[in-house]
Amino acid sequence: MTDNHPFGSGMFQGQAKFVDYAHMNQQEVQVNTLDEPVLDTLLRDINMILYKLSYVIIPRMKETQGRKLRNWDLWGPLLLSLLLAMTLGINSNQSSDTIFGTIFIIMWGGSAVITVNAKLLGGQVSFFQSVCVLGYCVFPINVAAVVITFLQSYFGFFLRLIIVGVAFLWSTFSSLSFMSSMMNEEKKVISVYPIFLFYMFLSWFCIFI
Amino acid sequence: MLDNLNQDVSILQPSLQMTDSQVQNRIRQMKMEDPDDQTCYQRFCNLFTIEYYREYFDVTTDLVIAKVVNAFNPFSGTFFDIGGGIPELYGPFWILNTLIFTTALSVNIIKYMQLQPGEHFEYQFQIVPILTIFMYLKTLIVPMIYRVALKCVSQDRLTLLHCFTIYGYSAVVMIPISLLNSIPNPAIQWMLLVYVLFAQTSFLTSNFNQELKYLPKEKKYMIVGLVAVVQITIMILYKFYFFSSINYQQLGLVKKRTTTHLLSHILGAN
Repeated sequence: MTDNHPFGSGMFQGQAKFVDYAHMNQQEVQVNTLDEPVLDTLLRDINMILYKLSYVIIPRMKETQGRKLRNWDLWGPLLLSLLLAMTLGINSNQSSDTIFGTIFIIMWGGSAVITVNAKLLGGQVSFFQSVCVLGYCVFPINVAAVVITFLQSYFGFFLRLIIVGVAFLWSTFSSLSFMSSMMNEEKKVISVYPIFLFYMFLSWFCIFI
Repeated sequence: MLDNLNQDVSILQPSLQMTDSQVQNRIRQMKMEDPDDQTCYQRFCNLFTIEYYREYFDVTTDLVIAKVVNAFNPFSGTFFDIGGGIPELYGPFWILNTLIFTTALSVNIIKYMQLQPGEHFEYQFQIVPILTIFMYLKTLIVPMIYRVALKCVSQDRLTLLHCFTIYGYSAVVMIPISLLNSIPNPAIQWMLLVYVLFAQTSFLTSNFNQELKYLPKEKKYMIVGLVAVVQITIMILYKFYFFSSINYQQLGLVKKRTTTHLLSHILGAN
């Protein structure tokens, strides 16, 4: 069993396999594109982010189609977490800095904890791939927060509950196909439950804006 | 070699078996004693690898659910018979986080229900870090107290990790209670508090029963008393710090008379 495991007894060997693949491609590309205008580089990165977001927007239950998500990057999760933290912070007059800090820490810390949990339970996940997927799947909650912020006066409590509920279920389903494909059958529920808790925590922040 | 290993252990601790990952860890430890086989990194930094901690997370869904269901039953005393009584940290950790979430939710629901008609609701975020610190400290310190107490009555079957496991699972009872605590009726809240105290204390003592069975009466009552006192302290801190912002008068539940004024002053003192 330890042979197939990417993080076998020699930690550096396993890690090099994933890091090399991701970074070698980028290095090759970067050497050729060092002279290109900044706008081209930015547009390429933005396209990559939008491409990954399309995987989140249409949750795919089959693992093979989610394979493109394995080229992880952390720009998307960073932008989404900043947007969420700012949106939730704008609406609170008194403690916007506490809110911003809490959301930011919960998002990144939560992703890290869920990934470590999956690895401890014996899953074959790469740390950054998992953090990347969890970060991207916050997108529906982000949309709900922005919608509620700008149309605040039109929404009663129950309509907000419905919108945030839909966003939460959407987020959970998006990340489900990626995460559950990594685990054994008997450990699927206990590795998915933390994701459920994580998105529920973020969603409840949105309802009470 | 593997058979010898299991046999060895089973002579010492007949009621506790070893899982696959524990066996692997033991093999790794035995290999570690041969310094030529190990690099410097593997000798000293094994603490920082994931594999080192994997034996504490060796659970399946069925096992966790069985333990959680068992924790709701305060009299069975069969907690350590599930899955061979192997200590694990998955359950305690995630039950703790769920409890933090439900308590924060409950406090904010109470605050939302007390909103005046023209007021804008301010979500109380500051409570989350305080709650986290309180819960984590509680879960770290209290099992140590139990372990010391059990060691004083000279038993060694339950290690510190067993105490962490059982204490973590005993907190499961608090999850539905913390949600129900958002009902603004003081009678219900006190009843819930008493129920949690009773449930947790009896769950813990009935599972320590194998150690307590053969003790003289004074020591037995001492241990039970210690468990009860610790639980009471924690519950009272919990209720009066986090749920103290309930203003019963404002909710129209307590009439303003001289006799009940004192009671509402104590309960809703803020």
